[in-house]
Amino acid sequence: MLAAFVQGPLVRIIPVGMVLLALQRTIFVELQVNGVILQVMVAFAAAAGAAGGSERGAVVGFVLGVMYDLAEGTPLGSSAVAFTVAGAVGGLLALFAADPQWWLAMIFTGLGAAAGELMTPVVRLFIGESDPFDPRLREIVPIVAVGAALMSPLLVPLARWCLRMKKAEWKVPPAGEGSTV
Amino acid sequence: MAIYSVGRRRVIIALLLTSALLLTLDLRGNPLIDRARDGFSEVMDPIEAATGVVTTPIVRTWRAVNDIDDLERENAELRDQLDRMVGTQASAESSIIEAQELRALFNLPSLSGIDTEVAKVIGRAANNLDQVIEIDKGSTSSIAIGMPVVNQAGLIGRVTKVNRTTSLVMLITDSRYRVAVKVLAGEGDPSPTTVATTPSGLTDDELGDAATTTTSAPSVNPDTTLPGSSPFPGGTTTTTLPPDESAPTTTVAADDSGETAAVTTTTTTTTTTTIPGSAVEKEFGALEGRGRGFPPQVRFLQDNPTIAVLEVGDLVETAGGSESLAPPGIPIGRVANRADRSGSGGPLLDVDPHADLSQLGFVRVVLYKPLSEVEQ
Repeated sequence: MLAAFVQGPLVRIIPVGMVLLALQRTIFVELQVNGVILQVMVAFAAAAGAAGGSERGAVVGFVLGVMYDLAEGTPLGSSAVAFTVAGAVGGLLALFAADPQWWLAMIFTGLGAAAGELMTPVVRLFIGESDPFDPRLREIVPIVAVGAALMSPLLVPLARWCLRMKKAEWKVPPAGEGSTV
Repeated sequence: MAIYSVGRRRVIIALLLTSALLLTLDLRGNPLIDRARDGFSEVMDPIEAATGVVTTPIVRTWRAVNDIDDLERENAELRDQLDRMVGTQASAESSIIEAQELRALFNLPSLSGIDTEVAKVIGRAANNLDQVIEIDKGSTSSIAIGMPVVNQAGLIGRVTKVNRTTSLVMLITDSRYRVAVKVLAGEGDPSPTTVATTPSGLTDDELGDAATTTTSAPSVNPDTTLPGSSPFPGGTTTTTLPPDESAPTTTVAADDSGETAAVTTTTTTTTTTTIPGSAVEKEFGALEGRGRGFPPQVRFLQDNPTIAVLEVGDLVETAGGSESLAPPGIPIGRVANRADRSGSGGPLLDVDPHADLSQLGFVRVVLYKPLSEVEQ
């Protein structure tokens, strides 16, 4: 079991996620675009989906979401749902292209991040928060999506490294994928 | 590229269900999750500190490029405010001390008697929905959930989560924030009004030479001294120079009852009069946050014109009460806009907070427990 953990992607996802979380809570809080905080964690989940498919994206999103909730004090699982959706959507969109160009990966990452950002108030609504939909959501979601798309050329290779994807896997899925993570 | 499959869908569903399970456990309160949070915070602290150090030059460069215009404008505004406040500090402090003595005399609760804990702001919410800050004091400093948090300007929020050495504070702009407030008569239009007064003992001809007196009601409410802070002036006093600066002046002061009393009197052609602010309670309501970029709003107002007319410039402060998490008299802000609604809904008042919530460095946690809890 320990060997499986060491050889699996989690051993890379967790430390990378911690660094991204630290960046999210420090520099990205300061570098706001029109008052909107760019979401590097959601972007990374969506990039993992675009790089490795919906399942891997969802797993990366779930792990990052749990870490985010633990650090931010938000209800544990609320961000995990949103990030899981971001990763899954990024991966589902990537089905349109077997070997997406870098600009296609940007679009998939951006749309995945938008889905994740939209899911956050939806989850809050389900857990009983009154009126969680920020009036600026129509402004927030596009900015987060564009920010994620711009970060994707960095995040997609990072996600591939975290997921231990070899170059051949970028185009053809490994045999029996679905239980690799 | 990966191919969609049923097995893949199962994994996604399993992850979503796991998230829902974690949510349920956390919302019901689970000590294991709380310990996990504390442990994770301990692990993340050094990483965040290192990241903060590494990224500081980038942040400073970004701020230098983006904030220079705002800083210059803010600097000019602050200089203007400072000039006005220096002029009123002495009178405001004496009024506050006098009010506190009166309160002590009648055994009335006073905010200045409540202990506070100074804390440093060490972080802000990293998402776009929550208006939350993190402070460096926790349960080891006697901080508990629900305690109000203030800075030198007024109320900024309340404690919503307490760890061992850190706490989360929900700001008054968060859409989940609610607090009972009262609206007090304020300055109305903050610009000073000029009224002509008649210096005693002058003929009409002499009055022609007399200077006008600029009078404005100071906004200091003696009961709104922030706990743990020195009295701060909030009103304005305008001094009118006599036409001949060598001429002696008459100064007329006013006590809390609104009656004026001469302090020093000499022959003069100029009168400087200070009228105390009449902090009359106009209405009670509930202040609700509305999220980033939107001012908090006061709702549930009756607005009975026979009692008082709610208007822009009115002061808003906490109302207190046995169940309220905040003691009475903490200043919050001023009414910035009034929106009337049809029917019996009453007006909505946008409140411009005294505290600048985007520039919080140090805050004070008011170690206050509601009266209902104290009695138990």
